Amino acid sequence: MLSGLFQTTTIPVLEQVVNFSQARHNVLAGNIANVDTPGYKARDLSVEDFQDRLQRAIHERTQPPVSRSPGEPAQEEQRLLAHVADNSKTILRHDKAKVGMEYQVTEMAKNQMQHNLAITIMTSQFRLLQTAISGRM
Amino acid sequence: MFPSLDISTSALVAQRARMNAISGNLANLSTTHNAQGERVPYQERYVIFQADESVGANGAPGVEVSDVVISQKEPEYKFEPNNPDAIQEGPKKGYVAYPDIDMMAQFTNAMEAARSYEANLGAIDIAKNLQQQTLRILA
Repeated sequence: MLSGLFQTTTIPVLEQVVNFSQARHNVLAGNIANVDTPGYKARDLSVEDFQDRLQRAIHERTQPPVSRSPGEPAQEEQRLLAHVADNSKTILRHDKAKVGMEYQVTEMAKNQMQHNLAITIMTSQFRLLQTAISGRM
Repeated sequence: MFPSLDISTSALVAQRARMNAISGNLANLSTTHNAQGERVPYQERYVIFQADESVGANGAPGVEVSDVVISQKEPEYKFEPNNPDAIQEGPKKGYVAYPDIDMMAQFTNAMEAARSYEANLGAIDIAKNLQQQTLRILA
């Protein structure tokens, strides 16, 4: 019953968004930490990839589950967190280190915005639930 | 999500490249030899900016460094016959070729680059604030 309570809201989706933005923050922090490391290449998690997978997951949740015979493998493993890739636009420096500090900090700020957005919506949803539970405004 | 952040960031990177060129010009005010050790005085570097349509959106382009141009200015000849760096023969005998770099112009340029950098940082701050204000509708 309690799981159904949360399943009717967007909280599970927001949880994935927060998970992703935290993982991405760690990667970006690693880039800044290695700003002077020779040969280091900036890494990033693909936001588009994540949004794609999340959208598909949301779509599948609203569809009735496809019946499978026992032992048949699932269509695709549900892996929402994107893989680490070095695809960010950076300056190539003389020591072959590819870290553009400005890009990293801006990406971090954007990531923080996404995180704040998800947390704010989650908070207001919890507040709605709390209002319903206490039964008064 | 927010193209204004990308636009401002491209400007930060461009202004930093400009600042690097200016630092190089100031560091080589009296450099009389090139990287190969030949007697060629240093020439000023100029960073060329170019609108970058791949960044930003809605007709508001970012900026990128398209090229770093080396000036073709004549060197400044100073008469220093006892300097081992002096030209040994020809009409310029006894003269040392120094780069003709205007230090004041470089400083002014550096100040402008720093102000531009600050202005873009300010723009990033404002864009971030806007987003936070939008969130306050929910909270």
